[in-house]
Amino acid sequence: MNELDKIPVRQEISVADGSAKRSNPLANVFDELVRFCQSRSMFMLHYCTGCGAIELPPAMTSRFDMERLGIQPMVTPRQADILLITGYVSVKTLKRIILTYEQMPSPKYVIGICSCTVNGGMYWQSYATAKVLREYIPVDIYIAGCMPRPEAVISGLRDLMGDIRSGRADNWKRYFQNYDYYLGNQQKLFGEDWQTPTDIIAEAEHYGLMTDQTLGEHTALLQKHQQPLEALEFSLGEKREKIQGENR
Amino acid sequence: MSKELNLWLDDLLKDIKIIQFKRKNSRRVRIDIAPEALPALLELLQGRASYVHLSAITCVDWIEDNEFELVYHVWSYETNSLVSAHTRISREPGVYLSVYDLYTPAAFFERDIHEMFGVYFEGSPDMEKFILTEWNGPPPMRKDFDSEAFVNQTFNWEEYHPQWLKDIEAEGGGITTRPEDVR
Repeated sequence: MNELDKIPVRQEISVADGSAKRSNPLANVFDELVRFCQSRSMFMLHYCTGCGAIELPPAMTSRFDMERLGIQPMVTPRQADILLITGYVSVKTLKRIILTYEQMPSPKYVIGICSCTVNGGMYWQSYATAKVLREYIPVDIYIAGCMPRPEAVISGLRDLMGDIRSGRADNWKRYFQNYDYYLGNQQKLFGEDWQTPTDIIAEAEHYGLMTDQTLGEHTALLQKHQQPLEALEFSLGEKREKIQGENR
Repeated sequence: MSKELNLWLDDLLKDIKIIQFKRKNSRRVRIDIAPEALPALLELLQGRASYVHLSAITCVDWIEDNEFELVYHVWSYETNSLVSAHTRISREPGVYLSVYDLYTPAAFFERDIHEMFGVYFEGSPDMEKFILTEWNGPPPMRKDFDSEAFVNQTFNWEEYHPQWLKDIEAEGGGITTRPEDVR
C-alpha cells in the first residue's frame, strides 16, 4: 500500500468507441468489494464534546439500532474509522480532537454533528469555542441541527456509506495533501510551537500523498519547534516509598 | 427545632447594625455587608449557627459602579436554610481576603473567580490558572471584555449559503425558516 495513487480506484472505460481495454478485469471488482465491505463495517469513535451526544445512545441502541447498518461504537481511536464530533468544540477540546484524529488509521472519516461544528452554533459569540471545524481537520459529512434527531444521524451515516461505496469519501487524503493549510490554522489558535506526537509528513510520504501543499511555511515552523518524543519517566519504587513514608 | 433556630438567628442578625438583613422565605436569607466585616460574619455563622457548607462564591461585575459584588452562599444543616452574604469590593485593584481558613472549598471558587474576573484573593492557597489553561487574554467574564469583537478577530466564519447547502436544498431539505422570517 505504498503508492495509493497507482491503485485504480475507478477505471475509466469508454464503452462508446470501444478503444479502451480492461487491463485487469478483476481490479475494479476487487475495489468495489473492498469499498462495499468498508461501508458495511464501520467502527465509530464518538467524541462527545457537547450536547449532541445525547442523541447517540438512542441511535445506537434498540430504538433506532445503527448496528443493523454495520455501525458500531468503538472505544479507542486506533481501532476506529469514523470520528463523530458531537457538538461545540472548545479550543482545549480541539487539541484533543486533532490528537485523536491523527492517531486513527487511514482511511478515516469525520462527521460533524450539530450546528456548532459548522459555524459555532449558539456559541458563536463565545471566546472559548472554535467555530469552523473543517478548518482544522477535513470533515466528510456535516449533520446540521440543534440537535439532529437519531433519524438525521442515521441518514447522514447512510450518506457517508454511499460516499464510501462510490469512492467519493476520500477527505482523509486531503489532510495529508494540504497539511500545511490545516497546520497553519491549528498554529493560529495554539501558538507556533504546537506539535503532535504523530508525524504527519512521514505518514504522507508513506501513503504517497505528498503534494506541493503538504509542506510550506507552517510545517517549516513545526520542524523548527519540534522536539523529539521521549519516553515518559516511569518509576513505581520512589512513589511507593514516599506513600509508605507518609503513612508512618 | 429548626424554625426556632431560624427565629433566633433572625433576631440576632437584625440586631447587628452594620448589616442589612432580609429574609426572603423560610429557607433563604439575604445579608448585605461591608467587605471588612464579611469574614467575621461567616465565622459567626459557621461557629454559632452551624453554617458549615459553603455552596458557592459568585461574582458579579457592576462596571458602572466600578465594583465587584461577591456573594457567599452558606448552608446550614441545622436550620435548613441558606444565607447569601453579599459584599461589594472596589473594581480597582480588585483584591479581597480569602476565606480559605474558614471554608476549605473556597480555594476552588476563589481560583475560578480569579481566572474569570481577575479578583485576587489574599491568603488563598493557589491562584494559578484553573480551567482556562490555554487562555492568555484578559479575564473573559469582565464586562469590559468584548467577546464578540474577540471572536470576529480570531475566528473565520463559514459561508452562509455554501454549495453543499444548495445541494441539500435541491433534494428538498435545507433551512425551512430563514432568520429574516423570524425577526
